[in-house]
Amino acid sequence: MMDTHIVEVINVTREVAWLPWAVQYFFLIGLSVGGLLLSLPGYAFARDSWRPLGRLALIVALTCGLAAPVALLSDLHQPGRFWHFYVVFRPTSWMWWGSLFIPLYIGGLLVYGWACLREELQAHGRVDSRLAGLYRLAALGGGRDDRLIRAAGLFVLAGAALVALYTGVEVAVVKARPLWHTPFLPVQFLTTALAGALGLVLILNRVVGTADRGVEVLGNRLLAAVLAAVMLCGGLWLALGLSGLDAAHAAALDSVAGSEAWRVTAVWAVAATVVPFVIAVARPAGTGLLTGLIAVHSAWMFRWTVFISGQSVPKTGAGFYEYALPAGPDGLMGIVGTAGLWLFLLILMTALLPVSPAPVAGRPANASGHPGGRLTAAE
Amino acid sequence: MDRSRRNFCLGAGAATVGAATLAAVPADAGAVSASGDAAHRWAMVVDVRKCVGCQACTVACIMENDVPENSFRTIVSTYEVTEQGKAGSYMLPRLCNHCEDPPCIPVCPTGATYQRRDGIVVVDNSVCVGCAYCVQACPYDARFINHETQTADKCTFCVHRVEAGLLPACVETCVGGARIFGDLKDPDSTVSKLVREQNPKVLKPEMGTQPRVFYIGLDPKMQGKVDGTPTLWRPAPHAGKEHA
Repeated sequence: MMDTHIVEVINVTREVAWLPWAVQYFFLIGLSVGGLLLSLPGYAFARDSWRPLGRLALIVALTCGLAAPVALLSDLHQPGRFWHFYVVFRPTSWMWWGSLFIPLYIGGLLVYGWACLREELQAHGRVDSRLAGLYRLAALGGGRDDRLIRAAGLFVLAGAALVALYTGVEVAVVKARPLWHTPFLPVQFLTTALAGALGLVLILNRVVGTADRGVEVLGNRLLAAVLAAVMLCGGLWLALGLSGLDAAHAAALDSVAGSEAWRVTAVWAVAATVVPFVIAVARPAGTGLLTGLIAVHSAWMFRWTVFISGQSVPKTGAGFYEYALPAGPDGLMGIVGTAGLWLFLLILMTALLPVSPAPVAGRPANASGHPGGRLTAAE
Repeated sequence: MDRSRRNFCLGAGAATVGAATLAAVPADAGAVSASGDAAHRWAMVVDVRKCVGCQACTVACIMENDVPENSFRTIVSTYEVTEQGKAGSYMLPRLCNHCEDPPCIPVCPTGATYQRRDGIVVVDNSVCVGCAYCVQACPYDARFINHETQTADKCTFCVHRVEAGLLPACVETCVGGARIFGDLKDPDSTVSKLVREQNPKVLKPEMGTQPRVFYIGLDPKMQGKVDGTPTLWRPAPHAGKEHA
């Protein structure tokens, strides 16, 4: 091209339409799905060595899973009309499918969580306390039932797979935003969600758990493996973009390559992945809190970059839009509010069912709960 | 009704235009058909060579459609282009392209946005949940969230005026006669002839959306995302307006 310089004199700046609420939703639902997957070996597949990690992962799945829909609802500019999703048939819209998958997943998660924790509810019901009656009521007269846990676990696994599918594809199909329109995006969402869930497990192990060394080492090893997958995805994404072998990736890279801010973000993202990876591999014990915090941060930053920074790339205008985080509900308040809700759920759950000292701790893992307490999945 | 305002004045006479202007139909006049008439396919041809960048269309649209402050259904993007040491202005009126294959419609989870049989893409803001999925899906940044209705908003080709036999407000007001509106299903309409004879371009053809807003004299450098220095001007945030 000849020596041409274009200065945009008048144009419109389109504000972000998917707000920080959306970042919170994708972060929380991703962590919930990740937590659910991490809880399955210990509970649904009754691998006792995975139980302590699974117990914390279950907290992640439940607390994040319950907070996530609130953030999603808040991202609607007309939240009171959410029921409009359920009176139409719109199979061409991945968001519409999502409106079916979310209740399926959350409903399944609650049943699965109850089935997993029923043994603890039953044990608390035996303790002489004012709440014993409530615990007994919540346990519905039964205890551990591995068949029920497995059935509920497999059901919610299907729900989690559908949620992971829709959240990824919903964004990846948006051809108008080259940065989003890559087949890697759903995989990147899933791998970073797993990393975030492991990060939160490692944090909870210190904060609300027993600082179990076994959980820390297993969590760090899993985190290293997941972060390796994150780096592989990122590397392939970059290689495809740089080589120009694939037009979608080349367009995605091209849409942000010229920005200094995006280059800094990329370096940051790489550091936030490589650093916890190296620590987790080199010293899996004693570093869980650090690697956990970085991993959670990294998972959140990935979503912030995809959604908020992604919307700062104009579709027709020159350069990039600027974004300043508003202080109100559309910005900081939304982020803090969602975090507060999650914290409340965490406190509630760990207050009612503390991880330590657990009444069931030390009991044989396969001990049946209550005499004659096996219930069927139909309940 | 298939003309720019300039031709309309020359041909049909000022009296008719005067009546049309005086009898401006309010945006909420109602009686707008939901599905439109399949006998028409409304389209616009923008002759960028005639656009002087006066933004009269921008203002007319805002007045006609009660577009909230800091939002635009149409705007004339204006660029200073320096080529081989010579600087000049380039104007590009932008609006919803009322695509033949609009990517905003399949993503809508409630069916609030749809295409009428006459090709006009509309939003039923009593159904829209304000999820903004369509805002993301539009390759032309033609959609936005209206912070007064808290729903998706966009150009409607002034459907309420078209149904009343009037031109869209932006066409009506265009001093340069750069915007020409009409029926593609009428082979004798001005837009049909221009599309047939002038080989106009569309924005982002690679998106496969088949826009029904055509441009005569469109510089390829402006056809997609413009590679240039962004404007310094930014609209003020909508923070002053409280909403639910």
